[in-house]
Amino acid sequence: MEVLNADGYRSDGRRQFELRSITIDLAQHGAADGTATIVHGLTKVFVSVLGPREAKLRSLTIHDRANVNVEVNVAAFSSGERRKRAKSDKRVLEMASAIKSTFETIIQTNLYPRSQIDIYIQIIEQDGGLLQACINGTTLALICAGIPLVDFACAVTCGVYANSPILDLTTLEENDIPNMTLAMLPKTGSVNLTAMESRLHVDRFGDLFEVALGAGRVIHEEMKLAILAKSRMLVAEMKTIGWGEKDLVD
Amino acid sequence: MPATSTISLSKAEKSYIQTGILSDPPFRADGRSLRAYRSVELETGVALLANGSARVSIGREGINSGGGTEVIAASKLEVEDLNEDGVEGGRIVCTVSCSPAAYPHLTSNALDELQEDISTILHQTLAHHSLHPNNLGILPGKKSWLLHLDLIVLSDAGNVFDAIFMSARAALWDTRVPRTRRITYRARKDHAEGQYHIDADENFSGFDTRRLAKATDFELSDYWDEGEVLDGRERWPVCVTLNVISQTHYLDATLQEEAATLLRLLLVYSFPPNSPPSLCGMRLVGGEDSALPDIKDFIKEGEQYAQELFISLDAKLREEDLRRKQKAYTKFARSR
Repeated sequence: MEVLNADGYRSDGRRQFELRSITIDLAQHGAADGTATIVHGLTKVFVSVLGPREAKLRSLTIHDRANVNVEVNVAAFSSGERRKRAKSDKRVLEMASAIKSTFETIIQTNLYPRSQIDIYIQIIEQDGGLLQACINGTTLALICAGIPLVDFACAVTCGVYANSPILDLTTLEENDIPNMTLAMLPKTGSVNLTAMESRLHVDRFGDLFEVALGAGRVIHEEMKLAILAKSRMLVAEMKTIGWGEKDLVD
Repeated sequence: MPATSTISLSKAEKSYIQTGILSDPPFRADGRSLRAYRSVELETGVALLANGSARVSIGREGINSGGGTEVIAASKLEVEDLNEDGVEGGRIVCTVSCSPAAYPHLTSNALDELQEDISTILHQTLAHHSLHPNNLGILPGKKSWLLHLDLIVLSDAGNVFDAIFMSARAALWDTRVPRTRRITYRARKDHAEGQYHIDADENFSGFDTRRLAKATDFELSDYWDEGEVLDGRERWPVCVTLNVISQTHYLDATLQEEAATLLRLLLVYSFPPNSPPSLCGMRLVGGEDSALPDIKDFIKEGEQYAQELFISLDAKLREEDLRRKQKAYTKFARSR
């Protein structure tokens, strides 16, 4: 398959560095403390966060910080071919553990000793960039749940096709070219996850890394806009029940 | 047997709810009457990669507020070989999975049991031959469609069965079966009698496909509306759950009310056009018993409620059909 044609267009009509459209919905759902639905093109992920709360199992509590529990569920109808993935499926567990290790460093877990923060991820549609969507969605859901974070985690997938880096891959592209997922913290500019399952020439890595960092910043802007819109709405609601400006902490 | 409740409630709270429902006039925490549903939202076409899908929520108070039961249903068609697992005329398999976020107090084992219970009830009802659509066959004796109906309970704020049956009905209503064309391989006349006449008669070979008659394969015909609807889609049933406290019953219980109610009666009705309604599923859930005459009354009254639910659901589904058709058509026109 030709991933990038001579005119610089990809199979879905995007340019090399063009991201897919991002839609973020932070509406409250069910009994969760914070929920977020994030859509990257045709990938759609629904994340709910519960906690900090008492752990279901006493043995899971850690005496000086909160335990972060991540569970990923893949809807059977999410992919092109119907496939039921069990909760104990290796790929699902691997993704959950990557997400867990990303967020353990970002959540200020030391503020909540002996408690548990549950992150439940439901994958509704998948078309490439699954880990990226999960991480971005989880950041947003954690913020909605009011859990103190050190920084956003903004993830993006990138690959390399014939010496040129390509951003935000679809399944077609993911299957075809070497790719990696990178999660960056925009404030500090540090990176806390790089995941790669294919082989990539070391000379290409530098370019790819730079491009991905830039894309992370763009995604951060989008996420910030969504969070600000949500906060403005909440502030407006608070004003209607008699909270003034002076009651609000900046 | 599904558990009657997934949350724990104190004795005082339970008796408060029970007294409210039994008092005259009855009193419920959200001010509804005994027969009133919370608001129901429905949208079809929510999963793009599925052949049909729907999202149903009961009792969400607004776009930005939480609460409410939410279910996503999606159907996916797969081609099955009759030599393997396939059944002549196709088959339907229903699976329900519950998000752990919907049941934050359950352990993962309890969650597995719960989704197994719900799956069984749904599958037994929908996979029954009286509801089976006629257009799930592809090639008689060779290939057929397998319809997977997958449901996800995203959150549960009570009355999950009604929501599940509603979303299942909506997803099946929305399902499009791709149009197929039979392909027949036929040896050309002049060939059979011309240069290939050497092994034509007595040396019959299994590899000689020229001798196999009739359709052997199928192809998909490409058309903008993704295929035809499932046959008899008006038949798919709706469920009403009657929550029973002594001789009184009420509809659409919240999670707390469910915990305070010992007996639930699930009634699944189908309303086929031009024929009388049929009861296609019934289940008593809970630790109480109920007198037979009461059950008879419940069934009679349940039919009324189901009819009302069915009519409003039907109107909404037709409205969704129109909306989606318009959308698909404009999209198609734009791409031209």
